[in-house]
Amino acid sequence: MSALCLDIPIVETGRLILRGPEARDFEAVAAFFADGDRSWGFGGPKSRNEAWRWFAGNIGHWALNGYGFWTVETREDGQIIGIVGLWNPEGWPEPELGWVMFEGSEGRGYAFEAAQAARDHTYGPMGFTTLTSNILPGNARSVALAERLGARYERDFTNVTGDTEMAYRHPSPEALAKAQEQEGAA
Amino acid sequence: MTAVAIPTLETERLILRAPGPQDFVPFAAFYASPRANFVGGPLNAEGSWRMLAMEIGHWTLKGFGRWTVTEKGDDTAVGMVGLFDPEGWPEPEIGWDLFNGHEGKGYATEAGRAARSYAYDVLGWQTVISLVKPANVGSARVAGRLGARHEGDFTHERHGFMQVWRHPAPGDLADGGMEAYA
Repeated sequence: MSALCLDIPIVETGRLILRGPEARDFEAVAAFFADGDRSWGFGGPKSRNEAWRWFAGNIGHWALNGYGFWTVETREDGQIIGIVGLWNPEGWPEPELGWVMFEGSEGRGYAFEAAQAARDHTYGPMGFTTLTSNILPGNARSVALAERLGARYERDFTNVTGDTEMAYRHPSPEALAKAQEQEGAA
Repeated sequence: MTAVAIPTLETERLILRAPGPQDFVPFAAFYASPRANFVGGPLNAEGSWRMLAMEIGHWTLKGFGRWTVTEKGDDTAVGMVGLFDPEGWPEPEIGWDLFNGHEGKGYATEAGRAARSYAYDVLGWQTVISLVKPANVGSARVAGRLGARHEGDFTHERHGFMQVWRHPAPGDLADGGMEAYA
């Protein structure tokens, strides 16, 4: 039977569950991509058809690379509130950590909580030693979150669609561990 | 849980198996060539990678999809054939792409027949179509060989104008649709 099995880890935080993408997430993904004001920093806007292909491609990203975007839902009521994870398709300079909060889920620190958990899992069980986040100029919300996560602007680069993008570099696993130690000692 | 269970099919000369990263090079070479003009190409390497990823995710989202086709005894991809129904498709279809250098051997017909048997015998479908670009004479010939008939047309936002070919229903196939397992 199957030559292909996707074993996508579940990552839990205080308020959130990060799990593998499923068909039932598609409506929320399509709504996000349909809204250009929300999705311009993430390859949008996209038609429903193109959003479906992106979402299917995200599942395939897990199969091809062994990582991808998780769907984020609330622990309390299972509401699908966004997607957070790793992205590194052909043409990307290196793996990046990305985040999207769907409409109505902002302003509660969910993106920070989910991104931090995704980064911990990436540095921990997945064994990554560094991570970037690529942000289009003008996406101030995303810059603010990157900085809150301790990431720092590193350079501009030209992305696969020919646009200039800013690469933010996250603290290394060692730097994060040291910061946590200091926090614990304080 | 995100599951993707992709069965392996076997025909007289071919294996239809789950697509994977090992297929990227031949897949991208096909999509970079003018031969892909009829199926959404040509695509650069980035576009091909995303297309291959989409083909895999299709299995998770729909419960069926397209297989990588290989010749028995050689795991190199020679094509991608199977059941395709992304968002915006008029109804599920059987699609066949033979990669560069592997056309003209009847592989599309052989793999397409196996995919159709899977749709009818395993998934229980009662009908299936194939979408063919009007200028894609080779593909229309495969559809005809499989007993499909051009019954109408469909225009898609990405792929443009395509012919709808309807395959024989399960009961109309001489041996009840089990031909690929014979």
